[in-house]
Amino acid sequence: MVLEFAFPDVGEGITEGELRKWLVKVGDVVKQDQPLADVETDKAVVQIPAPQAGTILKLHFNEGDTMHVGAVMVSIGEKGEKAAPEARKTTSVVGDLEESKEVLQAPEPEAVVPVQPGVFHALPSVRKLAKEKKVDLSQLTGTGPGGRITEEDVTKAGGGKPRAAPASAMIHMRKYDFYGYIDHLPFKGVRKLTAKRMVQSLYTATHVTTMDEVDVTRLVELRERWKIKLSKEKIHLTYMPFIVKAVVHALKKHPVLNAQLDEEHDDIILKKYYNIGMAVDIPDGLLVPVIKGADEKSIRDLAKEIQELAQKAKDRKLDPGDMKGGTFTITNVGVIGGIFATPVINFPEVAIIAIGRIHERPVVEDGKIVIREILPLSLTFDHRVVDGAEASRFLETIKDHLNDPALFAIDRD
Amino acid sequence: MTNLTLIQAVNQALQQEMKRDPTVMVLGEDVGKNGGVFRATEGLWQAFGDERVVDTPLAESGIVGVSLGLAVNGFKPVAEIQFDGFLAPAFDQVISHVGRIRNRSRGRFHAQLVIRVPYGGGIHAPEHHSESPETYFVHTPGIKVVIPSTPYDAKGLLLAAIRDPDPVLFFEPKKIYRAFRQEVPETDYTIPIGKARLVKQGHDITVIAWGAQVRTAEQAVVQAKVDADIIDLRTLSPLDTDTVINSVTKTGRCVIVQEAPKTCGLAAEVIARINERALLSLEAPVARVTGFDTVMPLSRLEDSYLPSPERVVKAIKKTMEF
Amino acid sequence: MPRKTLATFRVSSLSILDAAGKVDPNLDPKLPAKTLQQMYSLMVLARVFDDKAIALQRQGRIGTYAPVKGQEACQVPSALQLTKGDWLFPAFREAAATIAFGIPPERLLQYWGGDEQGSKCAADKNLFPVSIPVGSHMLHAVGASWAAKLRKEKAIALTYFGDGATSEGDFHEAMNFAGVFKTPTIFLCQNNQWAISVPRERQTAAASLAQKAIAYGIPGMQVDGNDMLAVYVATKEAIARARAGEGPTLIECFTYRIGDHTTSDDATRYRTNKEVASWKKKDPIDRVRTYLSANNMWDENQEKQLQLNTAAQLDKIVQAYETFPKPKINDMFDYLYAQPTQELVQQKQELTS
Repeated sequence: MVLEFAFPDVGEGITEGELRKWLVKVGDVVKQDQPLADVETDKAVVQIPAPQAGTILKLHFNEGDTMHVGAVMVSIGEKGEKAAPEARKTTSVVGDLEESKEVLQAPEPEAVVPVQPGVFHALPSVRKLAKEKKVDLSQLTGTGPGGRITEEDVTKAGGGKPRAAPASAMIHMRKYDFYGYIDHLPFKGVRKLTAKRMVQSLYTATHVTTMDEVDVTRLVELRERWKIKLSKEKIHLTYMPFIVKAVVHALKKHPVLNAQLDEEHDDIILKKYYNIGMAVDIPDGLLVPVIKGADEKSIRDLAKEIQELAQKAKDRKLDPGDMKGGTFTITNVGVIGGIFATPVINFPEVAIIAIGRIHERPVVEDGKIVIREILPLSLTFDHRVVDGAEASRFLETIKDHLNDPALFAIDRD
Repeated sequence: MTNLTLIQAVNQALQQEMKRDPTVMVLGEDVGKNGGVFRATEGLWQAFGDERVVDTPLAESGIVGVSLGLAVNGFKPVAEIQFDGFLAPAFDQVISHVGRIRNRSRGRFHAQLVIRVPYGGGIHAPEHHSESPETYFVHTPGIKVVIPSTPYDAKGLLLAAIRDPDPVLFFEPKKIYRAFRQEVPETDYTIPIGKARLVKQGHDITVIAWGAQVRTAEQAVVQAKVDADIIDLRTLSPLDTDTVINSVTKTGRCVIVQEAPKTCGLAAEVIARINERALLSLEAPVARVTGFDTVMPLSRLEDSYLPSPERVVKAIKKTMEF
Repeated sequence: MPRKTLATFRVSSLSILDAAGKVDPNLDPKLPAKTLQQMYSLMVLARVFDDKAIALQRQGRIGTYAPVKGQEACQVPSALQLTKGDWLFPAFREAAATIAFGIPPERLLQYWGGDEQGSKCAADKNLFPVSIPVGSHMLHAVGASWAAKLRKEKAIALTYFGDGATSEGDFHEAMNFAGVFKTPTIFLCQNNQWAISVPRERQTAAASLAQKAIAYGIPGMQVDGNDMLAVYVATKEAIARARAGEGPTLIECFTYRIGDHTTSDDATRYRTNKEVASWKKKDPIDRVRTYLSANNMWDENQEKQLQLNTAAQLDKIVQAYETFPKPKINDMFDYLYAQPTQELVQQKQELTS
């Protein structure tokens, strides 16, 4: 072991000394305490004794040099050992700068990260899912925007229903099964979304439907009169505005049907705003644009808005915002020709009303048979939140307003 | 309870706190007789006198350095740096000393002081009067950075800042100093530093902003007709990460609105934290609508620089449609 | 109209105890022997401490250290006059002042050894931590002393800095603030002729640093910085003025940095041995010993005893330093704010788990 012996502070508070004379030379074998050198300090000339026995391997200063206290002055060890190389003094004004003997490699031509080919696109959450389900993303064709691999793509591939054949595009082209020829329709987009919502609604709310009919003879007459007038303003007046108005009146009187159940907090949220959704039939399924603030709109306003929304729906130009925020939904089954129905509630609302076809029918009035225009109504409500009695009362209120439209003027909106 | 502008709320906070706590001092250029160039300190000199409301020489580094000395010897200085751009000469004192004295002395000394600075663009001012330098100070350990966006918040946050034992950079968005009023209680109240404000609640997207850009965010959300969580950060350091993460986890989409230049602005930090804690909830990359990596232009081009509701709507749409 | 003279100025220099150890009888403050001996002993302690610190650095037992050798007379007689409640704002070369102020020297070693704990002074001592950014700390002294004045207290602030610091903007802002608000601040400039390797002449075209005070409307004077008595007297006057509400003073102590700028500097690169040798002849401690000995206030036995005591004291100091507990990782995180933030707590966990 080589001892790098540093010039010690000889106890007189010195910081440096001048090496006057070496008393040994390299190769000498010295005993412990044998004088190594004469060093002159501020105060005196002192002899520096060897701290241990050994062979002098290296003398780090020349006679006449100034040594700082703590600087290595002699290397003592076994014959043949190498003394540590001189560590050069640091040349900053603060800190310890490493003076290294390490040599860096010559620079190589600059590496460039190449553009990655064959990258498949998937969100981080989808990648994670794929990893969990041990699905190889590179084998999937993405059905998302821009060919992105979606969560559904992964779920399907990773162990949804077992497949008889590999999940490739081929299976969608199969023209027959065991029993005969077949054809295919895509189950995605609006259709799929509608399906999802139906399931969610039916499996959450307890659906009960109550049905009734209302004599709308006066309403029909009113509408006939105003249909012509408003058509001059390019407004197509249907029965919908009146039905919306009647519904709003009834919702104000029976607030529990304009609500939402927050099961987590044991809370029935009663909405103080009236956003009425209107189901619109489109080729791919059902869209429900919402009329916001229906209570503040006149029949004329409603007619206009309904017309616009329906057109936008058919043109698939609705904003996501147009379909959010609904509190109650009206679905018109009568436009095609049905009478009664058991509509599915538009989750997370608590009720939905289906309007059947207005048709002439013989009814009995004061013992006589008269012909009246009859409108069938089917109200489905969430029995967790709404009682049957309240639902019936709600329906009665609607009937009153549709039966005698003058009530719109007499009752406060 | 009266309707106050943001600057009036600041003034009220100062009035009340100086009355309540005799160790609170206000100092800065033109804060005394003139009541401050924005009238933030209006009436204080008249009420509290020369020794508590001090017009200093024109020396920002001096103002901050002297405030530190006052703070370690028993006063609570509320220093005003007249404009954002003039924080630069005081930068050394803030980062070399104000942010460090507690750590350097292992708690033997600490800097309970507030540096109030009108900041941000939108008032067609000369150069250096429209800067958003908040990031430099968020990046400095030992400093808190607070930015109110409403009069109610301004009073509560300023009172909290003055009472906070740590040094607070209190940036006041000058564009909205007088842009609107709000009911501000005359009673004493504070708003906790380090807590964001949920301006609006929704499910489709999270929009985050601070200062004058909270308004921009609100306008954009209405225009875009989205059901959004709007978060006003209020405190930039320490950041209320939990509120951001809870929201983004719910919505899966996020847009951040930042007036300061894009690169290394606070939006980048927020996105980094979303990356750390909510990556798997994201349905789209987090977008940011920011100032550009240019010098803040003079008034003619200013409106092209500042984030607008239109730019934010575009970002929201893109994020929603990803 | 002839041109008007708005102002003229004079700046004076004070010297009482010369390099040969002779005192000017007209200026002799006639301090009691005990006080002189105390100051002398403290300067010797500072000198021995300083050498030891350098040795410790060479042995890797502390980090970079800025030696005070040669400037003891600027620091000891000035700092010693501060009383309870007064404030001391050092730069980074004030080991002697800090010891004279009553701080345990092992705390200095703790600081230079790389632990911030060394800067946490006792609650009854107003010693601001070492301030590395040159010229930035005088503003703090102005603020703290201003606070005392506002509360009508008699406390003052004494701040040390070098010739290099007088070129920094914050020096000027501090002097200016102090002048405008008449704060009880003593600006003690140790003009040791060198800012690392840049000589005093390169710092300013002014004939003296003391005259810079005049531009700020405050009194300034130069003293022989190696003259314990001159420094004593100048500081005493400045303290009296400050306590009497007459405001700040600038004292330029004309001295010399005998050692390197720090233990990582090599001054032989830019100064001559001749220059250093000539200043060694004006050593501040030697002249006091000569003076005291010649006036029956000190003898060889006392000197010997002092040497032994000081050596023993230093041993204790080093031992105390080396038995200080090591800093904990928590310390890095726990002093940024009154309460660590959530982010800091998480980062600390990251590091410690």
